[in-house]
Order: sequence, then structure tokens, then C-alpha cells
Amino acid sequence: MEATPTAIKQLGPATMGIVWSDGHNSFYRVRNVRLNCHCANCVDEWSREKILDDSKVPEDIKPRRIEPVGRYAFRIVWSDGHDTGFYTFDSLRKLCECPACRKAR
Amino acid sequence: MASSRISMPTVRNLVAVASGKGGVGKSTVTVNLAVALSKRGFKVGLLDADIYGPSIPLMMGLSDRPGSTDTHVTPLERNGIKVMSIGFLIPDDQPVVWRGPMVHGALTQFLTQVEWGELDYLLIDMPPGTGDAQLTISQNAPLAGAIVVTTPQAVSISDARKGLMMFQSVKVPILGIVENMSGTVFGTGGGAKFAEQFGVPFLGSVPLDSQVVQSGDSGRPMVELNPSSPVSVAMNQIADAVDGQLAGAVGAEFRSLTLDWQ
Repeated sequence: MEATPTAIKQLGPATMGIVWSDGHNSFYRVRNVRLNCHCANCVDEWSREKILDDSKVPEDIKPRRIEPVGRYAFRIVWSDGHDTGFYTFDSLRKLCECPACRKAR
Repeated sequence: MASSRISMPTVRNLVAVASGKGGVGKSTVTVNLAVALSKRGFKVGLLDADIYGPSIPLMMGLSDRPGSTDTHVTPLERNGIKVMSIGFLIPDDQPVVWRGPMVHGALTQFLTQVEWGELDYLLIDMPPGTGDAQLTISQNAPLAGAIVVTTPQAVSISDARKGLMMFQSVKVPILGIVENMSGTVFGTGGGAKFAEQFGVPFLGSVPLDSQVVQSGDSGRPMVELNPSSPVSVAMNQIADAVDGQLAGAVGAEFRSLTLDWQ
């Protein structure tokens, strides 16, 4: 069984945190999460090539609301209106920006 | 990788009912599950996405054409269940030849341009198999989970396995396995064994009963026609199990994980 989130928190003006069932604490710069959106508007469905132009994402982008989807993902509604991305627990765990995870990559 | 292009904010639980192959009674299970959930007081919708052999209109006793505005289609309603099917839009006796892009377009429209309104459950009767149409729905619709229907026979289970793996590959949670047509003719227990082997919930066995065919043809689902029959009892238990998966303790652990950014 893979680790699942037990809490999601706002840590700062642009920093989000997730606590996992295995005790790990993840943190994320929110803009980096937005840039890693896997939805069909941001990544080509077939080639898996990124369509999203990072420079078009505002520097000060923020989530408006984060909510769980089923038992496998979060949906984030962004301040620029983008709301089609599902961020699976898996993909968020891999995106963790804590020093230990960054070193492991 | 989950990527949902379609947003359905008024639907609380979008559930796919699938099978690895045709002829296992998937549509019968879907229709009876819809009635059973509706009887529990939930607002239920039923989307017949089986574009190759839409059978929901017959089973629900519906043959009118749905109303439409410039942008939206109003689903038909029967005993409080909203129903939409490609069968409403094409003449009965004509075969439909679908090509990939048409399938994709039709299914997307069914989800986005039908006025479903507020629903607790929208059940999708998936086309049998694991091809393009199935992937379109699994990848684009915000599914809360999928139910896989199989008969007890090994050959059917081997196909159900493919269905299961398709959902798992796109990260759609499996709500469980339903064994249909269980009994002396096709055997029994195959579904439970399969669920155990793959570590997914077993939702229940529905016995083989000739009255099911009559009820399907008459447009009155078994759960409604004969609520005390073993088939109806089994379907009611399955409805409870599905609802338990989505609304009960299992899903609740994540429901509190909602954050409004300050």
C-alpha cells in the first residue's frame, strides 16, 4: 500500500504542505505544482509532451481551493481559473521538494 | 496518470460499470443498481455509454426522444432516475458504425452537454471491452471509481481481468467485482476468488434467474418488479456496498482534506 495524505496545509503565502500516512512531510512551491499539471490541456494525451507554456503561468499564481477526488487525487482550482488538473497522490509524492526527496532524485 | 478534462461539479459520485466482454449482464446490473440506489433516497442518473449496443432504453421502458436546447440535452426521467442513451438518438433497427473520434466526441458530449443537475450518483454503463471508448471515459471523466461485472466462468474472468487492469493503469479506484449469473448453470465463486486474487473488494453475487430477462424486456427492472427476489436482495446489498465504499468510512478519511487558500 502506497502512502496516502493525512493532512494538507498552507505553510506560507506560496507554500503547500502534505503530511503522509508513512509520516513523511512534503512541501511544495505552489507554482511548481501548477507547472507540473498533467491534465489534457497541459500535457498532450498521446505523446505526453508538455503543452503548457511555463512563461504564461503568472509568477504569483496561487491555489484558490484544494479538494480530494475519490481516493486517489486532489483537484486544485487555481487563481488563473485553471481547474482541470487532477494531482494524484502518487504524482504529488514524487514532486515533493523536501531536501531528502530532492537528493534522492 | 489521472488527467480529467471534463469537470462535473454537480455530480457527487461518477461511477463506471464495466465488463471485459459483452454478455455478462452489465447493463442489467447497472439498471438494477440505479434503481436500488434511487430507492435509498439518492438522486441517480444513468448514462448508457454502450454505443455499440445501447440496451438501457428498453430495460428502463423509455422510448421518447430527449428534449434539447441550443446547447444542452435534457435527459429522460423515469421514477426519478435521469437517463441518457445513444439509443434515444438513433432508430432502433439501424446499426451504428462508430469510428474512434466520433466515439470520443459522443461520450464527451454525454458528460458535458446533458443537463444532469445535482446527482448523488451518475452510473455509466460502459461499452464492453477495453478499447478506445473505455479509455476515453476513464481518462477524461472524473470517475470516483469503477465496478467490474463478470460471470463465474474462467473465460469471463480472464476478460474482467483486462478491464480491471485498464482502470488500474489510469488510476481509477476499483470499487469492486460483481459476479452475475451465479448458480448451477455457470457455476459460482469465481468472482469472489478473482477479487481476492487482485486485492479488490467483492461486492456480491447475483443469481441467474430467468425472470431477469423478462423484467429487462418489459422495461421494469427486477429490483422494482420483484423486490423480494434473490436477485433484488443481492442487488440491494451491492448498492449498500458501493455506497459504503464511496460515502462510508473508506472515503471519509480523505474528504476532510479540503483547503481554502488564504
